[in-house]
Amino acid sequence: MTHRFLSHQGLASLVAQLLAANTRVIAPVRAKDDPQQIDYQPIHSFEEAAIGVRLPRRSLKEYFLPPTEVLLHYSQTKEGVEIREVSTAAPPQVILGATPCDVASLEVVDKVMGWDYRDELWFGRREATTIVSFLCSLADSTCFCTAVGLGPESFRGSDLLLVPVDGGYLANVVTSRGEALLHGFASEATDAAIAAAESSSRAARQKVDSNLEALPADFGGWLASNFDNPLWKTIALRCHGCGACAAVCPTCHCFDIVDEHDTADSGVRRRNWDSCQTGLFTLHASGHNPRQSQSERFRQRIQHKFSIYPSRFAEILCTGCGRCSRSCPGGMDLPKLLLELVTLSQAKPEVSGQ
Amino acid sequence: MNIYQPHLMRIREIIDETVDTRTLKLEFQDSAIAEHFQFSAGQFGEYSVFGEGESTFCIASPPTRAGYIECSFKATGKVTQALRRLGVGDTVGFRGPYGNHFPLETMKDHSIVFIAGGIGLAPVRCVIWNVLDLRDQFKDVTIIYGARTVGDLVYKRELEEWAQRSDVKLCLAVDPGGETPEWKGMVARIPTAVEQTVSSAEDTFAVICGPPIMIKFTLPVLTKLGFPGERIYTTLENRMKCGLGKCGRCNIGPTYVCKDGPVFTAAQMRNLPQEF
Repeated sequence: MTHRFLSHQGLASLVAQLLAANTRVIAPVRAKDDPQQIDYQPIHSFEEAAIGVRLPRRSLKEYFLPPTEVLLHYSQTKEGVEIREVSTAAPPQVILGATPCDVASLEVVDKVMGWDYRDELWFGRREATTIVSFLCSLADSTCFCTAVGLGPESFRGSDLLLVPVDGGYLANVVTSRGEALLHGFASEATDAAIAAAESSSRAARQKVDSNLEALPADFGGWLASNFDNPLWKTIALRCHGCGACAAVCPTCHCFDIVDEHDTADSGVRRRNWDSCQTGLFTLHASGHNPRQSQSERFRQRIQHKFSIYPSRFAEILCTGCGRCSRSCPGGMDLPKLLLELVTLSQAKPEVSGQ
Repeated sequence: MNIYQPHLMRIREIIDETVDTRTLKLEFQDSAIAEHFQFSAGQFGEYSVFGEGESTFCIASPPTRAGYIECSFKATGKVTQALRRLGVGDTVGFRGPYGNHFPLETMKDHSIVFIAGGIGLAPVRCVIWNVLDLRDQFKDVTIIYGARTVGDLVYKRELEEWAQRSDVKLCLAVDPGGETPEWKGMVARIPTAVEQTVSSAEDTFAVICGPPIMIKFTLPVLTKLGFPGERIYTTLENRMKCGLGKCGRCNIGPTYVCKDGPVFTAAQMRNLPQEF
């Protein structure tokens, strides 16, 4: 990885040039409904961007897997049915100022989207996107990226990672695409800038590091062998099954497919976000439901993220962003729950017969 | 073409199996797809009625009969009720084939006992015809099929055909109380029918499909007869949307019914979390 220096003015000019070329630029901005909150939104000028203010309410997921998207158009004709395909090609876009946890999640979800059958809708958008992430100094008590193998300075999934230093940013050039984006805007990085960036990276890491220790390597195996542990009954008691956690989660990718009429004989097939926390998710037409209670649904969520996905794809399906904890109306706190589970997993088995 | 794009199929024939169960014979509208379409016994597809949605069923016809596929369904939910409203010549969507299949290569030169209950005969029937179409490659073929009542038996014309074949041993059964005065088959539940019909597990594979309660009580009978779990095959169903391992709802613990199944051995099922 090479280092370059990008001045404040250099970044502003870079964004101005992208916008002038009609490239969609998505950056954290103050939410329209609540200026205290931040959303990732397309910007029209560099000044709109509010980078490094607060973790955005929602992740980047919606720019790759939209909450609802059309899979096909159909129309009934006298001769039968006609299908109009949707394009899987996406226009180029640049994401600016994303947090490392949100960016890493895209590479994690790539695994399932490419599993034997390639989801071209997902990968069309992935390939059309250049990602500039920022060192994250926004950690609060619900963040735990360092516990899942990432960190506020992680450049996983990024093309460029910018670290604020005196007069601008130290640009960590991760990919050739990132290098191309910087071309003409950056200058050589000084040793002092590199050292300053390292020091602020360390500080950012310290801010989150103590929230939760790295998950033990055999945690997924322990979860799998404790599928029937009675702990699931009590652990999920506060869960209402609302699915807010899945909506804000950068790695939750489960979806529903439904048809919608536009007119009596034409309409669309859509893919919509869905959540394993709702009772309808696995309900059979017969009335049978393999996951009847909330404890089974919550167990699915934890098992999928920390055991099933790791066993299939060697990836934890969580980047430690903490959004589920922040948005849960029942006060479920994932890092706290994980700590409980890890502690249980490491408890010495009771010696019986004494 | 994205992976969620279905092929168009035309309904060539409709066969009413029972008052609420129907079989559709479907052919691809695009002759190039029809020519290249291949599948194996046990695989499934996503069938759709445009404007209503998609639904998951196995392919109920055997791969040995080219030019069409069949699906059998009970009008239960939104899509199956819409499918029931369609007529001959109407168009449906089809994505597939997906999932694994019954290992006919392994079963070759062995005897097979087929056991099915109710609409569970649909996936089993695909394997039965596949085997009967290649009859000389297999030893004894036994079919044990039951339903709650005589009226609930599906594929009746084929049951008659199997009954007349000398190279098939057929045992039909209905639950006590489900018989009619003309009924000549057994009045028993499936586990009893299996116990009374199958004498040996030697050199034999079992293929079983039906309601969970039937499977639960039949597996111990097969075990008692000497069938090892590795030689008992069944096919599981779970609610699915994509059929491709992405939508995240058909998994039983780490096992995805759409990708690792739908065909499993009893030995594999024993190792699954009991959440299905």
